[in-house]
Amino acid sequence: MNMMGKVLSDEEIREIHRQSVHILENVGVKVPVEKALALLEAGGAKIDWDRRVAMIPEALIDKALASAPKEFVLGARNPEFDFPVPSDYSVMNLDGAGVNVLDHRTGKRRNATLQDVADAARVFEEIEIGKVLWSSVVPYDVPSGASGILNTATSFLNCSKHLQDEAKNIHEVPYIMEMVKAITGSLDEAIARKIYSATYCTVAPLCHDPEMLEATMELTKYRVPILVYPMPACGSTGPASLSSNIALANAEALSTFVIFQLAQPGTPLIYGAALGIIDRRSGVFLEGAVETALQLTAMGQIGKNYGFPTIIAGCLSDSKETGMQATMEKVLTTLPLVLNRVDVVQGIGLLESSMTLSLPQMFIDAEIGLLCNRMQAGVDVAPEKNYFEDIKAVGQGGHYLKQKSTRAAFRSDEFYTPWLSERSTYETWLEMGSPDMFSKAHQKVEEILAAEMKNPLDPQTEKIIREIMEEAKAKL
Amino acid sequence: MSDLLFEEMKTSVLEGEEDEAAELAKKAISLGLDMEKVLHEGFLLGIQEAGQLYEDGDYFLPELVCSADALKAALAVLNEKLVSNPELTSGEGKVILATVHGDVHDIGKTIVGSMMTAAGFEIHDLGADVPNEEVIEAVRELKPDILGLSALLTPTMEEQKNIIDMLSAANLRDQVKVIVGGAPVNQIWADKIGADGYSGNALSAVKLAKELLAGEQRA
Repeated sequence: MNMMGKVLSDEEIREIHRQSVHILENVGVKVPVEKALALLEAGGAKIDWDRRVAMIPEALIDKALASAPKEFVLGARNPEFDFPVPSDYSVMNLDGAGVNVLDHRTGKRRNATLQDVADAARVFEEIEIGKVLWSSVVPYDVPSGASGILNTATSFLNCSKHLQDEAKNIHEVPYIMEMVKAITGSLDEAIARKIYSATYCTVAPLCHDPEMLEATMELTKYRVPILVYPMPACGSTGPASLSSNIALANAEALSTFVIFQLAQPGTPLIYGAALGIIDRRSGVFLEGAVETALQLTAMGQIGKNYGFPTIIAGCLSDSKETGMQATMEKVLTTLPLVLNRVDVVQGIGLLESSMTLSLPQMFIDAEIGLLCNRMQAGVDVAPEKNYFEDIKAVGQGGHYLKQKSTRAAFRSDEFYTPWLSERSTYETWLEMGSPDMFSKAHQKVEEILAAEMKNPLDPQTEKIIREIMEEAKAKL
Repeated sequence: MSDLLFEEMKTSVLEGEEDEAAELAKKAISLGLDMEKVLHEGFLLGIQEAGQLYEDGDYFLPELVCSADALKAALAVLNEKLVSNPELTSGEGKVILATVHGDVHDIGKTIVGSMMTAAGFEIHDLGADVPNEEVIEAVRELKPDILGLSALLTPTMEEQKNIIDMLSAANLRDQVKVIVGGAPVNQIWADKIGADGYSGNALSAVKLAKELLAGEQRA
């Protein structure tokens, strides 16, 4: 059977859902956008217009859960990379929104630039398990109002996979849709192909960000898939028990489902989560903690139980550098999500609580994802895996190297060979110059950045994208 | 006609088809084909290609072992024709391999044998748990360039030393390079017992064997 990792029983999932409904019915969420409040009121929510708080009844929640589509395709600029969700394999995305880069050439941490966004996208293009690109860092070397559009454009220019970004302001939306239209050829195709999706973060506890809500509601007009991404932290922006914090995060997610389904019934939504805990002394948000992993796994289970595609924060670390702590925490925050078969683990490449990008780390994280997927696939006891005839043929003593089944099995999915792991003997390893995972990943990054870009945009479309970038710089 | 046959010989080894390789060898004898061509345009090309595929990462261990055994099967049939012309087969050199007395661990040594076969050595595998006297006798008779001794257990490592001592006592030590291997064995042990070399895995065993023989030629 497959290896499964569950932290909630079915009854516990129902209980958390009940708690979330109870929160929405009795405490409510702050929705500081009039248009959204009006929709909620028309839908049956009780609105406190002074405080801009909506109490959302269970019936409205049920309706939203029913009208949101359960499956769709996250299209890619290169259709070869189209990714249908839900998937029976956990892929990874490039984690986004960091502000620093651990420069692989100097080993030093510095501010992120737009060139880093381009480099990360190019490296991501060649990471097989990577299916969804989130612009990795916020560059400091561009006008801040235009940085979102410049990031989106730079990602489109350097990577042909599905792009997941975010719209922080409604003025960004026309720029985004112009780019998507230029790439897909028409507005109809832009709506149909879904090559772009947007992350929508709620603000814990129980608030919606007015600008992001307005911008993202605008995107739903174009059926842009929205990743719903609550992130309360146990004990600071959320209650201090894991289960209650999960219920709060789920309440925020459900309120978002309701708003976007009211704004545009049938709009594709992805259930996501990035909740965590804080350091009990400093108050710092901790991503690499086991309690974070437990909460994220629970959210993955809840999202899947509702039947929605899932993109859950994972492969996380609070380590300031690549190495032991990073690897330990990233494995612990990836494996349970993959064992729970979330569609996308979000994501690879970042350190320091998702603040710092490391290009070589992207390959190490991708390897972690592949190993976890092999683990998830489990032990197959199908009749065709019963090699009794070989056992009989070899008998007592001897070996199985010459059995035909050995040759076939060695070429099958039964065995996964991690290319980054060093598995040779001590002497061979010494002869090779004592390579480690990081040096191998580093070399791969250098190779990719030195080579020609894979799947570039056609010159005509590239020109349009670059013009949009110039306009954004001038106007936003 | 025979061109096609040579191609089949190569393929039989490349694809590790033992029975087919033996059949083709019989055919070669009954047709009275030129043995040099049978080897160098047929079977040996197959093992060279298999070795290359392994080095390139396209072949895994089982494929290499099967190729080596297919070659062995062909050579066993061709043996009578080859005795009169020994330089045809011992391209890189002649190697005796054995897992020492008291140790039944066969696989490591078998893998070394396959890799060496693929690299062009003529391999005589005495098997596992081989009495020391039998090893000495084989060295006396077959006059190998290299004797490879495998031991997986700490207590049986001692036999590697005993065999080297017995070779000296029989005045055979100068005639053969002795290489040792096995999980508990290392360079320090090899130096201590007076072996000519140590290797930690099959790939470096091939390299070591080549280096030892090249050194001998220079000397």
